[in-house]
Amino acid sequence: MSSLDVAFATVTFKRKIAYKTTWIFSVLFGGWSLLAGLAVWSHIIGDGEIGGYDWPAMRAYLIIGFLTATLAWSGSDWEMANRILDGHVAIDLTKPVDFQRARAAEYIGGMTASVPAAVLGTAAACLIFRPAPPASVLAAALTIVSVLFIFPLAFGISYLATLTCFVTQRFLGIQWAKDSLVAFFSGMMVPLALMPVWLQGISWALPFVHFTTTPASIYLGRVDTAGALGLLAAQAAWSVGLWYMGRLIWGRLVKKVTIHGG
Amino acid sequence: MPILEARSLSKTFRRPDKASGFKGAVKHLAQRKYKNYTAVDGIDLSIEAGESVAYVGPNGAGKSTTVKLLTGILKPSEGTVRVMGRDPHVERIANAHDIGVLFGQRTQLWWDLPVEESLKLLKHMYGVSDADYKRRLAMFDDLLDLGEFMPALARTLSLGQRMRADLACALIHDPKMVYLDEPTIGLDISVKDRLRAFLRELVDNGTTLLLTSHDLADIEEVCERIVVIDKGTIAYDGPITQLKAHYITTKAVNLYLEGPADVPALAEKFPDYAWAAGEAPSEVTVTYETSRFSTAGVLGSLTAQLAPRDLSLSEPSIEDVIRRLYAGELTK
Repeated sequence: MSSLDVAFATVTFKRKIAYKTTWIFSVLFGGWSLLAGLAVWSHIIGDGEIGGYDWPAMRAYLIIGFLTATLAWSGSDWEMANRILDGHVAIDLTKPVDFQRARAAEYIGGMTASVPAAVLGTAAACLIFRPAPPASVLAAALTIVSVLFIFPLAFGISYLATLTCFVTQRFLGIQWAKDSLVAFFSGMMVPLALMPVWLQGISWALPFVHFTTTPASIYLGRVDTAGALGLLAAQAAWSVGLWYMGRLIWGRLVKKVTIHGG
Repeated sequence: MPILEARSLSKTFRRPDKASGFKGAVKHLAQRKYKNYTAVDGIDLSIEAGESVAYVGPNGAGKSTTVKLLTGILKPSEGTVRVMGRDPHVERIANAHDIGVLFGQRTQLWWDLPVEESLKLLKHMYGVSDADYKRRLAMFDDLLDLGEFMPALARTLSLGQRMRADLACALIHDPKMVYLDEPTIGLDISVKDRLRAFLRELVDNGTTLLLTSHDLADIEEVCERIVVIDKGTIAYDGPITQLKAHYITTKAVNLYLEGPADVPALAEKFPDYAWAAGEAPSEVTVTYETSRFSTAGVLGSLTAQLAPRDLSLSEPSIEDVIRRLYAGELTK
C-alpha cells in the first residue's frame, strides 16, 4: 500500500465522518436490524435448535451478521457509480493514477469509517445478548481475518456492479440486484444451513457467502481448522479473482468510454 | 518536434435512433436502432512547445471531444495522437503526469472537503515536493487570491472561486501542456480579467496551452494562434493576427449628422463606399475597403463635405469573423 493509497483512503474517511447524522442513522438502523433478527429467531428457535443453531449460537450468528453487514454496506457504491454516470470519470482519466486502485483506496477508506460503529455495536450486542463464545482462540483469530477479507470482497463486487453503468447508464436497479444477492447468498437474511441443499451448493460457489456465513462458520466451529483455512483461502482467491475481473472489464470498457457534453 | 501532434484524428459515437413519443419509446425497447455520429472528422493538428492555441467552434462542433481525445480520455476511432511522443490513451498515466486539464463544467475538487485537502491529494498524486508545492501555492495565492478560500468546503465556493481553485488543481504540478476547456464559463467580468491575466502569465513563462472558449476575449487576450472547428473539421488554423488581416478587410464610420440622413442621395454622392441607415434618423454607417481607402482620407472627405455633429470608427471584431466562418461565408 503506497502513501497515495493512504491519501485516497483518508480523504474518503474524512468525507464519511463529515456527515455525522448519516453515520449515526446507519448505526441505529444496523442496531434495529439486529434487534429485529434477534426477536424473530428467538421466537423460531425457542429452546430447541434449527439448522444446527441453538439460541446462543444463533445470537452469535446474528451479531456476526450485524458486524459484517455494517462493514459491507458502508462502501460508497453510489459515489463510484456517479463518477461514471455524470462523466466525472473524464477527470479521473486525466490523473496519473490507476483508476481501479484509486477507487479501491477510496472505497476501503469509506468502509474504515464504519469500523468504530461496527466494533462498538458488536461489543455492546455481545455484552447485552451474551452470544455463544468462539469455538477456540484460534477460531476467534481466524474469524477476525475472515472479517478483514470483507473489505476487498465488498470492493470487488461493488466495483464490478458500478462498471455496468458504462453499459446501463443507470445504477439503481443494479444496486438493488447487488444488495439482494449479497444479503441472500451471504446468509445475512437466512442462514445457509436452512436453505435447500442445491441452493447451499450455489451459494458456496459464489463470493457473497464469504460476507457472513464464512466468518460465522469459523467462529462457531462449524468447520474445523483445515476447513477454516480453506474458507480463508477461498476468500483470498475471490478477492484476487474479483480484482482481476475488474481489471479485465475496465480494460475493455475504457476503450468505449463515451462522455457527452463539455 | 511538436509537443502535440494529431493526424487524421476522428471520433465516431453510436447514438440511439429513437422516435419521439410513447410509440417511439416502445418501438425502441423492442427493436433498438443506432446511428453513428462523427464528432471529430479527420483533424490534423500540430502544436509546438510554448504555443498558446485557441480551439474554437460553435456548440457541438467537436471541441470538447477533441480535448478528450488529446488528453487520453477517449480512444480515437481513427487517426493518431502523440503528446510529447506518447499515445495519451495507451500511456495514460505517464501522459497525465505531464499535462494539466481543466473542464470548466466539471470540478476536480472533492465536493465536501476544504480546497486545501483537494490540493494536498493532488500533490500526492503528482509527487510534488513540499518546496514546489509551497512555491506554487504562493504563486496561485498571489495571482488568484487562493488563500482566502483554501479552508472553505468546495461546495460552499462561488463559481469564480471554484474555477480559480480548479485552475490551481490543474496546474499544481507545473504541467508542460495545459488544456483548458471553457475556463471562464459563467464567470463575472472581474474574475474573467483576473483569469486571463493569469493565463497570459502562464503562456509568457513557456507553458503550452490549448484553450477552448466561447468567449472570444479569452482568445484574443491569451492566444496567438486560433484553430476554428466546425462540424468536426478544421475551418481555419493560423495566427489570430493573420485571421484578422485576411478577413477583416473593411472598416466602418458611424456618422451623426445635423439633420435626417438621406441614404440614397449619400450613396449616389459617394459611390465608392457602402451606406446604411443607422438606428437614429440622423445616423448613417459608411463602410469602406481598407485596401482601397485610407481611414484618414475617408474621414477627411466625409467631415469636409457632410460636417457631421459626431462620428465614431469601428472595425469588424474577431467575433464577427468567426461568426462568418461558422456560417460558411468565409473559406480557409
